Amino acid sequence: MLEIQNLTKIYDGGTVALRNVSMKVKDGEFLVIIGLSGSGKSTLLRCINRLIEPTEGRIIWDGVDVTQLSGEELRKTRRHIGMIFQQFNLVRRSSVLTNVLSGRLGYVSPWRSAVGRFPKKDVEKAMGALRQVGILDQAYKRADELSGGQQQRVGIARALMQDPTLILADEPVASLDPATSHSILRYLEELNREKGVTVLCSLHFLSLARAYATRILALKDGEVVFEGSPAEIDDARFKEIYGEDAIQVEIR
Amino acid sequence: MSAEEDRRQEIPGRRRGLFSSRRLILGIVVAVVVYAFAWQITEIDLKKLVTGAPDMVHIVKQLLQPDLLTRDKEYQRAYADFQVPCGTASPQQPAASESEPYLVLSYLCGEPGQPLGVEGFNFRPDTKGILRWIPPVGTRRSLKRIDADSEGHFAVGIAIPDVPASEELQEIEVELKWDVGLPYPSDTTKIVLSKMVQTIMLAMMATTVGVFLAVPLSFLAARNLMSKYRSTMIVYFLIRGVFNIVRSIEPYIWAIIFAVWVGIGPFAGVLALGMHSIAALGKLYSEQVESIDPGPIEAIQATGANALQTIVYAVVPQIVPPYIAFTIYRWDINVRMSTVIGFVGGGGIGFILIQWVNLLQYKKAGVAVWAIVIVVWTMDVVSSWVREKVV
Ligand SMILES: Nc1ncnc2c1ncn2[C@@H]1O[C@H](COP(=O)(O)OP(=O)(O)OP(=O)(O)O)[C@@H](O)[C@H]1O
Ligand SMILES: [Mg+2]
Repeated sequence: MLEIQNLTKIYDGGTVALRNVSMKVKDGEFLVIIGLSGSGKSTLLRCINRLIEPTEGRIIWDGVDVTQLSGEELRKTRRHIGMIFQQFNLVRRSSVLTNVLSGRLGYVSPWRSAVGRFPKKDVEKAMGALRQVGILDQAYKRADELSGGQQQRVGIARALMQDPTLILADEPVASLDPATSHSILRYLEELNREKGVTVLCSLHFLSLARAYATRILALKDGEVVFEGSPAEIDDARFKEIYGEDAIQVEIR
Repeated sequence: MSAEEDRRQEIPGRRRGLFSSRRLILGIVVAVVVYAFAWQITEIDLKKLVTGAPDMVHIVKQLLQPDLLTRDKEYQRAYADFQVPCGTASPQQPAASESEPYLVLSYLCGEPGQPLGVEGFNFRPDTKGILRWIPPVGTRRSLKRIDADSEGHFAVGIAIPDVPASEELQEIEVELKWDVGLPYPSDTTKIVLSKMVQTIMLAMMATTVGVFLAVPLSFLAARNLMSKYRSTMIVYFLIRGVFNIVRSIEPYIWAIIFAVWVGIGPFAGVLALGMHSIAALGKLYSEQVESIDPGPIEAIQATGANALQTIVYAVVPQIVPPYIAFTIYRWDINVRMSTVIGFVGGGGIGFILIQWVNLLQYKKAGVAVWAIVIVVWTMDVVSSWVREKVV
C-alpha cells in the first residue's frame, strides 16, 4: 500500500510542480497517471523514490515514511522500487548485460560490484530477465546498438532484477511506435497480473491508459483533477483534464 | 503617396548612398594603398622564386638521399714520383708488376701547367677512385676522377698543378675505393634513432603531466558541477580563464620560456608541451563532464546503488572512453609538436635537425626528416585506430 499525503514540490526556481497531492494506491493496482505536459507527472513519480526531494508532505509505503529515510535505509527501500524511463536511461556504452545487472546493485556487495563482479546467480538471473523480455540474444551488445523498443525491454529487465514490489514507469512508451508501445505495456501488465507488482505508470495517450489501467489519476498544474476508473472519463472529464481544445487520439 | 510607399522609395535611395561611386573609388584607393604597403613591408619578391629554385632543388635532392645506411670501404692505392721542376734528384718510373697495381707516367719531371699522362695497370677492375697530387710541403689536391676498366686499366691526362718548385719529390697517388659487406645504419641514423626515442618519451611525459593535472581540474572546470554555489562558480571561472590563456599561448612560446627557465633541452620541451596539454585536455575533459547524461545516473540511483556504485556504473562509462580518446589524440599532437619543439630549445629530434640544417648537412637532416615523417604518420594511424576502438 502506497499512501501520499499532501505532497508539494516547489522547484528552486519557484515552479510549483505539485500542489498538495494526496492519493492511495492499493497493492496490485495498475495506476495510470495522465495529464498535460508540465502537469507534474514525472515530479510525482520521482518523489516516490526520492530521486526528487519533496518540499512538503508524506509518502508512506508499506508503513514506512519514505520522506524520512536517508542513506542506507533509503537505498534499501529503493531497491524494491523498479523504475522505467521514457528515455530508457541505459548506460549507452555498457553492454546490455551490464545494464541489466546494474538493477542488482542495491543487493550486492558494493566493493565487489565496483570492480564489475556480480555473483553467478545474479548473472543467471539477468539472463533469465532478458529471456523474459525476449532479447536474450542481445545480451553482449552495447546498449546503444539496440532499437528503442529493445532498449526499453532492457530497462524492464533491469527493473525486474530488483525483485520489485512497485514499479514506477515514467512515460515508458512515449518514444516508441504504437505496436511496440503495446508490447512494452503488456510486459508491465503481465508483471502486474501474474506477480502482483503494483504499477504506477504515466502515459500520454488516454487510449493506452484506458487499455491498461485499473485506475486512472489525472494531474493538471500539479493538482489531482480526477481519480477513478477508466470508464468514468467521458468527454466532459477529458476536456477538464486536457483543456477545451483537445481532441482524443486513438492508439490501437 | 502613402507612408508605406514612401519608405519603400527611401530605402533603395539610402542603399545607393552607401555604395555611391565616390565612396567606392575612395575604398578602392585605400585598398590599393594598403596592399601596396603590405607588398613592400613583407618584402615580396616573386623573382626569387625562380632565382632561388636551383638552391632549393639542390637541398631537396640531398634531403631525398638521406645518410641512412653505410657500408665498410676497402681501398687500393699506388704511387709514382715526379719532380717540379727538373733537377738533380732523378725520380724513377714505378716498377711494373705482375699482380700489384702500378702507375706509369708519360715523363718524370716538368713545369707547372704542362700536360702529364698517367696510366694505371693491375687495378681492381670496374672500380672508381681519385687521383691526388701530394707535394712535399703543403696540402694534397684531388686532381681527377679515376675509372678503372674491366681489365683494371686506366689512362688519364692531368695538368701539373701550380706547386712551389722543390728539390724534393712530388708524389702522385691513385686511390680506388669500393664498398664491402652489407649495409648497416650510419652514425647519423643512430643519432636520429636515439633522439627519436627521446622525442617520443618527451611527448609521453608531457601527455602524462597533462593527464594527471587535467583530470582533477576538469571537474573543477565543469559548469554543471560547479554552478551550485557562488564560491565554486568563482573557481570555475578562474580555472576556465587560466585554461583559455594557457591554451592561447603556442607551445613554441612556452618552450622558449621554459628553455630560459630550466635550460635548453628535453626537460624544457616536456614542460612546454605539458603546460599546453593541461589546458587543452582540461578544456576537452571538462566539456565531456558537462555533457554527461543525467538519465543513467538517475536510473542507477533508483536501483538502490550507493554513491560509489553510481560513479562506477553511470559516470565512469560515460566519461572514460572519451577521456581515453582525447588523451590519445593529445599524445598524437604532442608527438607531432615534440619533433619541432627542439627548434626553439625544447630538445628531442628537432634540436639536432635544426643544427644539421644550419650546418648545411642536408643528407643528415634528410634522415631526421624521414624519421619525423614516419613517426608522425604511424602515430596518426595508431591513434585514430585506437580512438575508433575505444569510443
Ligand atoms: N529540475 C527542475 N527544475 C525546475 N523546474 C522543473 C524541473 N523539472 C520540472 N520542472 C517544472 O515542473 C513542472 C512539472 O514538470 P514535470 O516534468 O513533472 O511534468 P510532466 O507532467 O512530467 O511533463 P511531461 O509530460 O512533459 O514530461 C513543469 O512546469 C516543469 O517546468
Ligand atoms: Mg515527464
